[in-house]
Amino acid sequence: MRNLLNFLLRYSPWVVFAFYAGLSCYLLYSDSPAQRHVYMTSAGVVASTVYDGVRNVTSYFHLREINDDLHARNSELEDQVLSLRRQLKEMQEAVYADTMTVSEILHPFSFIIASVTNNSIAHPYNYITVNKGQLDGVEPEMGVVDQNGVVGVVNITADHHARIISLLNPDFRLSCKVKGSDAFGSLIWDGHSPEEAVLEELPKHTVFAPGDTIVTSGYSAVFPEGIPVGSVIESVRDSDDNFFRLRIKLFTDFTTLSTVRIIKNNELDDIRRAEQ
Amino acid sequence: MAKTFLSFLLLFVVLVLAQVTIFNHIWLFGVAMPLVFIFFIISLPVTTPTNWMLTLGFLIGLAVDIFSNTAGLNALCCTILAGLRRPLFRLYVPREEDLINPVPSIKSTGGATYTKYVLTMTLVYCIVYFIVDSAGFFNATTLALRIAASSVLTFLLLMALAGIASWNKSGKKK
Repeated sequence: MRNLLNFLLRYSPWVVFAFYAGLSCYLLYSDSPAQRHVYMTSAGVVASTVYDGVRNVTSYFHLREINDDLHARNSELEDQVLSLRRQLKEMQEAVYADTMTVSEILHPFSFIIASVTNNSIAHPYNYITVNKGQLDGVEPEMGVVDQNGVVGVVNITADHHARIISLLNPDFRLSCKVKGSDAFGSLIWDGHSPEEAVLEELPKHTVFAPGDTIVTSGYSAVFPEGIPVGSVIESVRDSDDNFFRLRIKLFTDFTTLSTVRIIKNNELDDIRRAEQ
Repeated sequence: MAKTFLSFLLLFVVLVLAQVTIFNHIWLFGVAMPLVFIFFIISLPVTTPTNWMLTLGFLIGLAVDIFSNTAGLNALCCTILAGLRRPLFRLYVPREEDLINPVPSIKSTGGATYTKYVLTMTLVYCIVYFIVDSAGFFNATTLALRIAASSVLTFLLLMALAGIASWNKSGKKK
């Protein structure tokens, strides 16, 4: 016993070093990001308070670019509204005899608007913090978009803050398709540039050209179908010859991310119950 | 003693806040990341017991981690850096007793020695940081480029910081 004590005292710096190194490695490698405690992330109380303060100052910096983006997106949406109105009218006439209201069928999704308080693009695994949390109706697994396209998916929620797994994070795979076709593949970030990602496992029979738009497939309950994601740059070789592998230029500008919309699927409970 | 403790507590808070609110958002040319908060470990008095060095290193790393969503990454690297601080410092100043002031600075060790010491600490930190961070995810060229570019940027900022600190002190004496 005495020898042991002497030993520990003599080598105490090594013992302390081993302890801290072990603790760090535990934090670093122990579990998947989803299981981490909220106070160890940027959604915790101290971190989110600081980031809210900084956001009050820095939110003005990118207003011009964001305004331009909004204008472009707005005009696009106006076009869509016009065409959708026409379709809606046709469908309303078609189901006139039915008792169900069409607007409910067509709108299972609603949005929660949130401001980005912290955002990283430099790490291999990136996260975003926003100023809305579970008391505002945000829940894990909800999709997040901004005015340009897909941003990520909610990961951890605190009372008034939430951490989002960025699209720039290999933990996040997004089911996507080439606009106008039905074949879908899986979009994943390869860690090289915050402006590009890779669409994998796209069937060989898919027809596409560089510049074509990539949209969400709608095959998950998280994102509605047809949300823009990016455009095709080129096709690269896949290890498996039966699939295409495309380099995608992302529409979302992660360097100036400011206001995002969190997608609430009002039919999610229904879908989950059906899938059980 | 209490005054030293307070000034280092203040340095801890200011460096963590500066790192997470300003420097974490800088990413020059997609490769250079300034890791300025290690100035705290660099500036701890050389008389600090090793166990305290390790503890303070771990704590400042953990504080930056919590803000940056990199749980454990900086904590691990800072613990390693804090452990290596004394051997690295001895490379350039073999006899610590010769120092007038136990806090390493341009004044206490001389400009040339201090520059070499800061450069070594920065290099060690950037190498450990980017190797642990990449975890086999990036290729060797990207990794080397990131280490080199980030070391240069961090080193320049640290020297600027040390310059401001020594200028402040000499200004007060007049």
